[in-house]
Amino acid sequence: MRIRPRFFIGGGLIVLAIGYLIFSSIRTTSEYYLTVPEVAARQSVLGGQAIRVAGRVKPGNIAWDPNSLTLKFEIVPIPDVDDAGAPVKPVAATDPVSFRVVAAGEPKPDMFAPGRDVIVEGKLSPDGAIAATQVMTSCPSKYKPKQAQ
Amino acid sequence: MPQLGNLALAIALILAVYSIVANIYGARRGAPDFVVSARHAIWAMCAMVTIAVVVLWTALLRSDFSLEYVAAYSSTTLPTVYKITSLWGGQQGSLLFWTWLLSIFTSIAAFQNRRRNPDIAPYALAVLAGVAIFFLLMLNFVTRPFDLLATVPAEGSDLNPLLQNYWMAIHPPSLYTGYVSATVPFAFGAAALITGKLDDGWIRSTRRWAIFSWFFLTLGNMFGARWAYEVLGWGGYWAWDPVENAAFMPWLVMTAYLHSVMIQERKDMLKVWNLSLIGLAFGLTLFGTFITRSGVISSVHSFTQSGLGPYFLSFLITVTLAYTALLIFRSKDLRSPAEFESYLSREAAFLFNNLMLVGIAFAVFWGTIFPVLSEAVRGVKITVGPPFFNRVNGPLALGLVFLMGIGPLIAWRRTTTSNLVRSFAAPVVIGVATGIVAAAAGLRQWYVLTAFSLAAFVLGTVLVEFRRGMNARRHMVSEPRAKALVNLVAKNNRRYGGYIIHIGTIVAFVGIVGSSFFRTEVKKSVHVGESFMIGSYTLRFQGLDETDTPHLESATARVQVLNADGREITVMSPAKLFYKRPQQPATKVAIRSTPASDLYVVLAGIDDSGQTATFEVFLTPLVFWLWAGGLMMVLGTVIVMWPNVRERAAIATALSRSSAGARELGDLGAPGGD
Repeated sequence: MRIRPRFFIGGGLIVLAIGYLIFSSIRTTSEYYLTVPEVAARQSVLGGQAIRVAGRVKPGNIAWDPNSLTLKFEIVPIPDVDDAGAPVKPVAATDPVSFRVVAAGEPKPDMFAPGRDVIVEGKLSPDGAIAATQVMTSCPSKYKPKQAQ
Repeated sequence: MPQLGNLALAIALILAVYSIVANIYGARRGAPDFVVSARHAIWAMCAMVTIAVVVLWTALLRSDFSLEYVAAYSSTTLPTVYKITSLWGGQQGSLLFWTWLLSIFTSIAAFQNRRRNPDIAPYALAVLAGVAIFFLLMLNFVTRPFDLLATVPAEGSDLNPLLQNYWMAIHPPSLYTGYVSATVPFAFGAAALITGKLDDGWIRSTRRWAIFSWFFLTLGNMFGARWAYEVLGWGGYWAWDPVENAAFMPWLVMTAYLHSVMIQERKDMLKVWNLSLIGLAFGLTLFGTFITRSGVISSVHSFTQSGLGPYFLSFLITVTLAYTALLIFRSKDLRSPAEFESYLSREAAFLFNNLMLVGIAFAVFWGTIFPVLSEAVRGVKITVGPPFFNRVNGPLALGLVFLMGIGPLIAWRRTTTSNLVRSFAAPVVIGVATGIVAAAAGLRQWYVLTAFSLAAFVLGTVLVEFRRGMNARRHMVSEPRAKALVNLVAKNNRRYGGYIIHIGTIVAFVGIVGSSFFRTEVKKSVHVGESFMIGSYTLRFQGLDETDTPHLESATARVQVLNADGREITVMSPAKLFYKRPQQPATKVAIRSTPASDLYVVLAGIDDSGQTATFEVFLTPLVFWLWAGGLMMVLGTVIVMWPNVRERAAIATALSRSSAGARELGDLGAPGGD
């Protein structure tokens, strides 16, 4: 197939424009996707940066105020699991790394419950809590039964 | 019974292997008996997979919990229709379903080509059987649908309540049908490369397959969006989640392919491009399955993470390398004698439209895998959310819409200035006028103004086309307008069906722009009897009704909706549901849809006394038109695919006279083979 050079110019311009759009948008819209221990490790450099944190809702200390639509809770690391699906390290109530999450102005997600895995979107505020704009529960589209009871 | 399923899958695997050997041996040695035997093996394979599917469906309907799969995805209380859809509710079942579709489509392709395409059909069927072998290997050895449980539970753990919805019942099969049927044109493309028969025979032989695939990909994406809108309760329909992107990318590439093959059929150009596109479309279907199964990319939809990822990735890499090697090997034979002559030509418009579509697909791909890339390169996962996809794809969509207006009206090869003025004067006036009216009505966002102007421009071009065709008919056969219009579409179904798809796309585009830019949202906690406003509507919370059944508990709010004059329009009933097994809450959204805007009410929470409820309400203008546009796209595609008896007869006659004549008829938009 022969394409005259000027078609390369036209096509090249389109390709360049697309490339530029992708490049510039990545820079302005990226969020760090972190686990709870990673947030702890990078705490000092994350101020003001948009982050997404994957963690597990810690039982206890969950407060939901339906009037102001404010949800407060703590997240802890999601434990690694071994091949059999059993947690290597169970989530203890006294787990050392945890973050307070304050989500204001959003209804509580249906699937939100202690022990559930959530993804929290927001920013790290100066007091060390995560000011969340969104709390998403991992929705199990497909269930993996542990063992059919 | 489960043993029968396992046995059937094992035999199917053997038959698939045999059909490849027999097809290739038969084709190379010119031994038609072997090709016939290979065909029979494909049909037998299809019968075997069908038996396996029937066995699994029977087990689901009979609630045979000795099967791990049935125990995991069904229960005795599950409504029958969802027992049927549980076949594709879980991983093993969905792979079995996929394999079943593939074996059916392979059988149909074998039947269609029993006398046609003797050169490439055996190789195409061998490629199809090769893909089937991969899936059958998975089903036989890696993720087995008929595994038994050591202890039989009394009750199954039920299908996820979110999937117990009619859209979810039809969304996966549509998407799978679209995915799997893309394998047929891919296989014929690969066969053309293997055999070196690189004319457009493979495209013409599989054109209907490509449209069929595109049709179901469109339906699958639309159903998925509609499901998200009705069920997930966040007021939107598309979140650029990896799972959605996985379904969207093949659609984009198939769209590009359907347009660029027209250039090859017409001008004998872009051979490499078309072969690459169909390879890419097929690769993306595998990629989609890979990212949803491997857990490599975190999605809000956490699918079963399983050991399947590496297998799919290996298969994907193998296919990509082999196909690329074939393309390079044949690159000398793929040169085209024709060349592009002018920017102002339909070829150029189509080429640029292709670049846009593939560009969007690439941007979506890049955004989807970016977390993995950034983690590999920089050691930290960086995600890009909907803002990235909207920022990149928004401008590209405008370019695409613009080209949609240019492409159909501009002449092949080159266009004269007078021709341009004649074709585009009216549409440009319509587009500019729309922009002015919209600006006068108070719209200020440049994107919205541009989008609406371009949309009107494209609709204008389609109107011009319809009017031209209608007038030509009225000159020739002096028919009344309406009859001329109907005949115009009926006699040139491929062309005018295509225009109807374009209208549908534009209508859906307007719906997307309107709903993205003008959505308003109110969140409010209210006591019984209190009211609040959104837009010009007043919503009054009248109280809660609670029910309790063995399957679920529910609390339904009565929300009275008043218009600006204070008159009641309707009472809406958003609800909170609590499924009992597995114990899981869910939200039932109430939607009042009108062409102007949708009122979307979510009962976000209730307090224990039942006196206070939290509502999340969205007022989304124009979203109605997204679904209406989707319906028009479906209608247009049906018109395109409709068998055109008269044209076929004409082609048959022309073929018997001379093959050159057939070529010309094909150029007039006749389906030159299916």
